[in-house]
Amino acid sequence: MMNSMNNVEFLNELVNSKFNVVKTEIINAEQMSFIVDSRDVHTLLTLLKTSGWKQLSYLSAIDWIKEDEFELVYIVFNWDRPVHIQVRTRIKRDRENASFETIIPIYPGAKYYEREVHEFFGIKFPGNPDFHKQLILENWDDMPPLLKDFDPRAYSDSHFEKRDYPEKHINLNNQESKQEKRQKRNLKSLLLRNGGKK
Amino acid sequence: MKSTKFSPMTQEQIDKKWWEIGNYFRRNSLWMLMYCTGCCAIELPPAMTSAYDMERLGMGPMATPRQADVLLVTGYLSLKTLRRLIYTYEQMSEPKYVVGFGSCTINGGIYHDSHAVINKLDQYIPVDVYVAGCMPNTEAVMNGFTDLMGMIKNKTARGWLDYKERNDWYKKNQLDSLGEVLVHDEFHE
Ligand code: SF4
Repeated sequence: MMNSMNNVEFLNELVNSKFNVVKTEIINAEQMSFIVDSRDVHTLLTLLKTSGWKQLSYLSAIDWIKEDEFELVYIVFNWDRPVHIQVRTRIKRDRENASFETIIPIYPGAKYYEREVHEFFGIKFPGNPDFHKQLILENWDDMPPLLKDFDPRAYSDSHFEKRDYPEKHINLNNQESKQEKRQKRNLKSLLLRNGGKK
Repeated sequence: MKSTKFSPMTQEQIDKKWWEIGNYFRRNSLWMLMYCTGCCAIELPPAMTSAYDMERLGMGPMATPRQADVLLVTGYLSLKTLRRLIYTYEQMSEPKYVVGFGSCTINGGIYHDSHAVINKLDQYIPVDVYVAGCMPNTEAVMNGFTDLMGMIKNKTARGWLDYKERNDWYKKNQLDSLGEVLVHDEFHE
């Protein structure tokens, strides 16, 4: 049996010997992250899959609006060597044409993750036959909602009726506040719980 | 021959009596359909199990909408869930009641500015009782149920009648927010 530190060392060795990794991060004994160039992602994922990281746990994206980039995060998992690996890469943030080659040939399950990313960030995945289909949002009629320049409040205000609170709800019939009484009662019950002392 | 003791009742009065009898049994034996959309649903296990034991009020869980009397909407509703909720509500047999849990169903709660969830449930389906809180205390939930029973007794739980009377208004609101109520997705077609 190998312990988990060995796993991390093994991975470090495996990936860094073959790839030009921009940054390797060892988060803890069960998590590692590799930032790679976008051209290396497919070969790196192939290598990881053949080395036992055969489960794609998640594909997510991050919108770095100031740097004008999207970051894609592939998380893969191995059931024999318990290490989650994040493969991170950055692509150009292009609202209309941002795209990244699909990884379906490597991980077929990526089909749905890529659809989700397309829905929420507008990144296209050529090679995935239905990346453009809706998956989670139904009949969405605006820009992808997880982009940083999307304004959820404006969308909510324009689509969903808000409840009005007429002033009388705030101070009903000019009653005086019962806050003090309530506090006294709470104090008393506290005292009783302590045996009435102090 | 006319009876001297009892004046005969009109059909309307007889119907009303039967409704009263029906309401008596209905409010003491409510079957609820739990549409556990949000975190408020976590208040149901203590309410149903030995801690508060809602069966002593005569309430029990039911598996299908057609056999249930009360629809519990426990928490926030995304547009996607709202579509399914409207389906479910319309499938329930009358009379039907709706209990909305938590501030999310009342005014959107902490998700009031989210792109994904609606703010005001009674805009789309009629709600008889709201239980406020985020999440509501289990006592408040139980209190909401007894309130509902009282409302059935006083004939003020009229949401389902309202849905029939103002159906156009509800339908219009549903369409305004949802675009289309029908569900189209590849998994069901
Ligand atoms: S009211 Fe609070 S507890 Fe209930 S669903 Fe909304 S956020 Fe969750």
